[in-house]
Amino acid sequence: MPRDSTQSPQTRLTPANSGFSGTTGNAWYGLFPLVAGLAMATALQFILPGAAGPYYSRIVIDAGIAIVLAVSLNIVNGMTGQFSIGHAGFMALGGYTAGILTHYGSMLLWGSAGRHGGFLGSGELLFAASCLAGGLISAVAGYVVGLPSLRLRGDYLAIVTLGFGEIMRVILQQTGRVIDDAEKFRSGGLSQLIPPPVGGAVGFDGLPKYTSLFWVYSLVTVTVVVAYRLKVSSPGRAMISVREDEIAAQAMGVDIARQKVMAFVIAAFFAGAAGGMFAHESGVIISPRDAGFQRSFDYVIMTVLGGRGSISGVLIAAAVLTALPEMLRDFEQYRLIVYALLLIMMMLVRPQGLFGIHEIWDLFAPFLRRQQKAAP
Amino acid sequence: MTADSIHSTTQPDSGIVQLAPLLRVSDIGISFGGLKAVQQFSLSLPQSVLYGLIGPNGAGKTTVFNLLTGVYQPDSGKMNLSDISLIGRKPHQITAAGIARTFQNIRLFPSLSVLDNVRLAGQLRSSEGLLHTLLRTSLHHQSEAELKQRAMELLEIFELQHRAHELAGNLSYGHQRRLEIVRALATSPRVLLLDEPAAGLNPQEKRSLAQSIREIRDRFQVAILLIEHDMGLVMDICERIVVLDHGVTICEGTPDVIQNDPQVIAAYLGAAPDSGQNIF
Ligand SMILES: Nc1ncnc2c1ncn2[C@@H]1O[C@H](COP(=O)(O)OP(=O)(O)OP(=O)(O)O)[C@@H](O)[C@H]1O
Ligand SMILES: [Mg+2]
Repeated sequence: MPRDSTQSPQTRLTPANSGFSGTTGNAWYGLFPLVAGLAMATALQFILPGAAGPYYSRIVIDAGIAIVLAVSLNIVNGMTGQFSIGHAGFMALGGYTAGILTHYGSMLLWGSAGRHGGFLGSGELLFAASCLAGGLISAVAGYVVGLPSLRLRGDYLAIVTLGFGEIMRVILQQTGRVIDDAEKFRSGGLSQLIPPPVGGAVGFDGLPKYTSLFWVYSLVTVTVVVAYRLKVSSPGRAMISVREDEIAAQAMGVDIARQKVMAFVIAAFFAGAAGGMFAHESGVIISPRDAGFQRSFDYVIMTVLGGRGSISGVLIAAAVLTALPEMLRDFEQYRLIVYALLLIMMMLVRPQGLFGIHEIWDLFAPFLRRQQKAAP
Repeated sequence: MTADSIHSTTQPDSGIVQLAPLLRVSDIGISFGGLKAVQQFSLSLPQSVLYGLIGPNGAGKTTVFNLLTGVYQPDSGKMNLSDISLIGRKPHQITAAGIARTFQNIRLFPSLSVLDNVRLAGQLRSSEGLLHTLLRTSLHHQSEAELKQRAMELLEIFELQHRAHELAGNLSYGHQRRLEIVRALATSPRVLLLDEPAAGLNPQEKRSLAQSIREIRDRFQVAILLIEHDMGLVMDICERIVVLDHGVTICEGTPDVIQNDPQVIAAYLGAAPDSGQNIF
């Protein structure tokens, strides 16, 4: 504290502070976006399938999962300015972890691997808990993968993260067949889970299909709220300072090692949870390929297009880049060419991404400020 | 500058040196390959003093700052802030211990706002944790409000409050230099290291900067070590001066001692022959 700050007249400072004073005492205010998000997720769950049909609902679910992955990746690549291209590795790790828990957990609890209970029933709660556990396991992996980021930067770090995804892919390929017989599994004991029987190269088939608009958009809500709250507060500013200038950040007292690893841990957590949703989505069989480079690259493109550090920009990019290829199914084989062209164009025309570091609503900020000034 | 003005602004140093030194550095040195960038550097900085560190280009001044702030680790010697040893500490720990700096080549966070640059520095002393941030608890609101208030106070002192919402990278050069000082002060330092804060400023800006530096010292009770090439400015505001040449301390004393030291004159004449006899 500047030692004289107590002497300076407080009255001068109220305008700068007034934005906060009304909300300081209200704990509910902090919950508002979460409640609103859950309400939206519930509305989607009950309205969209009836209104738009299963095909479009499926695209909206895919978009939601992509949003979680891209927005979380952006905490590493956008906020702290590191370059990770192994995000799908965390997703797959979380997905397989959650899959093991629901598949074999259901067998132990209910004697069968199938879906158990209805909306918010016991099966779905097991599923939610499994996604959470998948996130936590991924977060641990994020910590381990984040450690080299303290010594490596740029291309070298990218190679490490790429390596992580590829290692995940190869390990998953070596796993054994899924045990489908509940009786056999129950009598055989937990030692059958080592090494995990998750299907090898063909993928983890037969997982109960719990993933729904409600669960996906609940996760989207939490991810976006966390990313945004990080961005506009002290811990997030510390992360952003690492991106801006590491030496200056340290000189301001920022522990850059901590920030870098923390970014990896947070991002990996959400990727893992999203992986859980992905693995339990109907029409999807999570397979070792999902840990690989191609999928990671999709998310990198979303963050690059959306803008480093722009949550709304990345969200839009993720939604559009998920929906567009579906709409243009006939041009599937040109997808990568279009991506490449898009990227090259962005690099030339708008290297900072669609929104750069800004949020969509920042575009209206000057207007709002003018209004505020005019009001009193 | 006249001899009179020097004496009127130079405080008699007997009263100051009596105080227990805040920062005590003895015999630190560092080599880069074969180059001995700094050798046997010693310094004793009491509270709330304003000392100068001068020397020709490449003398090792910035390297001394880098040693003091943990960017480089000294090959030898001791450094203490009050009773804490600074040897082996990381830069952010040294900032936390109470030494802040500015950079010769400006290092702001260009795509953050002016306010965020200052808040970022201020959060070092704030208690907010990650969980409070994510849950937006009242502690979060309180500490963010305090941060913002303190940042605005500081900006106001340096007349930057109207630029609070501009991006730091869009400020004029002079304002960027000033913002660097504000940002360093926001870490609530006990020792402030200023690396050529007047570089690139016009004479009028320099005069106002000199005034500000004095005010900072008085107002924030911070000990300042100033690197500056503008001799008029250094001689005018510094109480004591250390002169480096080729990494070696060749002289230390009050401005009038420095100005009359034959070694110092030789060092500067060697470095800048066309500036003639009257280098100060
Ligand atoms: N990281 C480094 N690696 C190698 N040499 C270095 C390094 N840092 C500084 N030096 C060298 O150490 C010497 C002192 O440099 P320093 O930047 O401290 O000088 P200075 O007194 O600040 O000069 P100026 O007035 O030009 O800023 C120079 O010869 C410089 O090239
Ligand atoms: Mg220098």
